[in-house]
Amino acid sequence: MTSQMDAVLSVRNLTKSFGGVRAVEKVNFDVAAGGVTALIGPNGAGKTTIFNLITNIFVKEDGRIIFFGRELEGMSPVAIAELGLIRTFQSARVFPGMTAVENVMIGAHRLAQRHGFSQTLWLSSSRKEERDTRATAEALLDLAGLLQFRDVHSTDLPMGAQKLLEIVRALMARPKLLCLDEPAAGLNDTETQELTNLLRAIRQNGTPILVIEHNMSLVMNVADHIVVMDAGTVIATGAPKVIQEDPRVIEAYLGTEHHAVP
Amino acid sequence: MWDFVQICVGGLAVGAIYAVIALGFSLVFRVTGAINLSQGGFAVIAAMLGYTFAVTFGFPLWIAIPVAVGLTTLGGMILGNFTFVPALERLSTANILMLTAGLLTMIQGFTLVIWGSQPYAMPPFSGEAPLVFGPIRLPSQSIWVFGSTAACICGLWLLITRTKLGRALRACAENPTAASLMGVDVRRMTLFSFGLATFIAAVAGVMVAPTTSLQFDTGGLFTISGFIAAVIGGITSFPGAVIGGVFLGLTTQIATAYISSLFATAIALVALLAILVWRPSGLLQSRVRRRHDVRENLKASMHMARLAGGAARIFAILAFAIGLLLPLAVTDNGILSGIVIAGILFMTLMGLDVLMGYAGQVSLGQAGFMAIGGYTSGYLTVNYGVTPVVGVVAGIVLSLGCALILSIVTLRLRGLYLALATLTFGLLVDSCAVGFVGVTGGPSGLVGIPSFSVAGHEFASPRSMYYLVFGLDVVILVGLVGCMSSGFGRALRAIRTDQLAADALGINTVRYKLVAFLISAALASLSGSLYAHFFNFLSPEMVGTDRSLELVAMLIVGGEGTLFGSVLGALLLTLMPTIFQPLALYKTFVSGALLVCGFLYLPQGIYGALVHFVAQLTGNTTPKVTDVKAAGAHR
Ligand SMILES: Nc1ncnc2c1ncn2[C@@H]1O[C@H](COP(=O)(O)OP(=O)(O)OP(=O)(O)O)[C@@H](O)[C@H]1O
Ligand SMILES: [Mg+2]
Repeated sequence: MTSQMDAVLSVRNLTKSFGGVRAVEKVNFDVAAGGVTALIGPNGAGKTTIFNLITNIFVKEDGRIIFFGRELEGMSPVAIAELGLIRTFQSARVFPGMTAVENVMIGAHRLAQRHGFSQTLWLSSSRKEERDTRATAEALLDLAGLLQFRDVHSTDLPMGAQKLLEIVRALMARPKLLCLDEPAAGLNDTETQELTNLLRAIRQNGTPILVIEHNMSLVMNVADHIVVMDAGTVIATGAPKVIQEDPRVIEAYLGTEHHAVP
Repeated sequence: MWDFVQICVGGLAVGAIYAVIALGFSLVFRVTGAINLSQGGFAVIAAMLGYTFAVTFGFPLWIAIPVAVGLTTLGGMILGNFTFVPALERLSTANILMLTAGLLTMIQGFTLVIWGSQPYAMPPFSGEAPLVFGPIRLPSQSIWVFGSTAACICGLWLLITRTKLGRALRACAENPTAASLMGVDVRRMTLFSFGLATFIAAVAGVMVAPTTSLQFDTGGLFTISGFIAAVIGGITSFPGAVIGGVFLGLTTQIATAYISSLFATAIALVALLAILVWRPSGLLQSRVRRRHDVRENLKASMHMARLAGGAARIFAILAFAIGLLLPLAVTDNGILSGIVIAGILFMTLMGLDVLMGYAGQVSLGQAGFMAIGGYTSGYLTVNYGVTPVVGVVAGIVLSLGCALILSIVTLRLRGLYLALATLTFGLLVDSCAVGFVGVTGGPSGLVGIPSFSVAGHEFASPRSMYYLVFGLDVVILVGLVGCMSSGFGRALRAIRTDQLAADALGINTVRYKLVAFLISAALASLSGSLYAHFFNFLSPEMVGTDRSLELVAMLIVGGEGTLFGSVLGALLLTLMPTIFQPLALYKTFVSGALLVCGFLYLPQGIYGALVHFVAQLTGNTTPKVTDVKAAGAHR
């Protein structure tokens, strides 16, 4: 396990149950700076729940979450986003009624300097900021291969493009940690390739990523570190090579019958 | 002691009617997830029909009453089939609520056209003599009221729990998609529930007719009381509806008897606001939980009409020039006054657009802030001789204060609860305007308000007022366009469609909603003050709930989320009765019908249609994914 010093995010003893279901139980893991950490596991393992606990959309029952040395206990989702922990959702949540580029520009909200009043007065400083934001948004759209869709209404885009758009929007917020929930779900092969390139570019840029993903080849391609969950608990952690060989992981994924067939 | 019992008996009789109407709300909500505000209107139609058949035509009651109820139900189902049912498939629940508010206005307008504005009093079904039980006197009609209430409750309960039809209705309530997969015709069930609610309302209407005097606008009162009762009790719960109705009836009657008849409504409304703060989803909660958040998201995805940059500039200059030259072309003072009024209302509408069109927060009580602004400014200038400017500023400060207090309630609420809270606020202001006779002049209004003036220059003529209003409108519009077309407006639009995703990007939804609310309150207050100064007079119905609904109609008809569009709606609805004088009687009907049609056929309003037209002309349409792909392939 990475030492706590260079961890961006440390999850300790995290626990949450819904009614009688233990969705997450005593989960521990770290996200290292400057790398891609993948959170994998079968359906219903509790991965999305962990994201919701990290961002305080659900209230945890027990445990600690430390982001850049700071406890997230009792902070609102907004405050957590303001700290730079930006997430995406499993079902792409682009803002309807807005074009692709407007969607991305919303991401800049966290960093915006001039709000409301100076915009009302049409001050040149705020109009310059607006132009700069638009330029940055277009550059990021280009990076994800979406620039051609700039002025299309976001909900008219194909599912894959919407998911990419959500990632671009999150990037626009210049996250200190980017949390992606199944970014490849619903993407076709070319789009998955775009995504792989995008994730590599983000990693290159030094932004740490925590990604939930079912697409194993994508995970093995981009992840530096893997956390495997099953039924609410962490069953293995390690480098992709190690995880690929781990019998517990194979069992969790393929079920016990796997042993019957040697 | 016996007095108290006597009052409670009266309260129960009133409460029974509220309970029946609340049952209708609950029924439609459970089946469709939407609120149907039109019910009170049907109650009055049924009562009026009953009066016409029984008194005017002299039919015996046992024919007149069932025929009245039957005709009303039939009419309601036809209307519902062409409005409510198709709307359910396209509109968000908040918009459906406003569509049914439009239906209510339309029905009231229809009643006004047919039966006029005079009150009607139906004779009691079984004689005037009350039943006497010792010291308690019970009006004979209340037996009919209690009886029909009990019959409605039992009938509905049997229908829902014991019949196949009831099972289908419940299936729709729990999960419409699954229900339609299982072969339930959801559309028919929706229509059926709408018809059943109309039937219940009609029964309530004919039963209550002999106990009050009925007018074309009594329907609004029934609707509001029923809605309040349903929410107090918990909108998904049938027993809740009954408890809510009885609670509301008792509080108003007891408050009337022991405190003041003028403030009886105000007290009930404060109780309602308290309940909304304490238990935002009502006293009782049934196990049926609808996930209307999901449906909401799907249908809120309205695209906003935007002119492309170049065209926008040309049209802005053109509109400015027309505005500047308009008083030279319009010589008729009546029409110019109409335009000034539209311009004054446009200020409220811009604020309402920020609140509703951008931030997605329904407000059915915006005229309440107009009232606060108008009365504050009027009272101060009349009684203390302060200059109108000081009065206007004082009004804005007071409105902002009230908005802050109200936001304690509203910021926690969404969707229909928010609509209800704002409606309640408007009603509360309204009843204060009627009740504080010393300050507001009561129902007959505040007279002698001086014309607006700045530094000795008086804006007395319509033409001078026109230029004042035009100037203010332009300044406000330019400011808001700047604000709404950049970060601030984008944040509001994000909140409108997906609060959770907005949160996750660090957009402080609470703060933004509050700011939008304050902007709308300040603008409404300003506009209310100018309105009072322009008329030199202000009365409660000029800034009452009908005005609030009319404002919503103007906004929707003009074009939501466009800032500029609402001026078109304001001009249309204010000038129509002025230009077509003989048609003034139809004004209420037309404004309701326009709202309904606007929602159904012109979701982006007149402005949206214009933008679409211009875009077609200039070939500057929003690109579609297929266009982009085709262009990419050719590159
Ligand atoms: N809001 C909720 N209420 C009740 N139970 C929930 C809720 N959210 C998640 N659960 C339950 O918690 C468990 C973990 O769910 P979670 O969504 O975290 O799984 P996941 O690992 O993200 O699965 P998938 O790969 O399918 O997305 C599941 O059993 C799920 O039913
Ligand atoms: Mg998940």
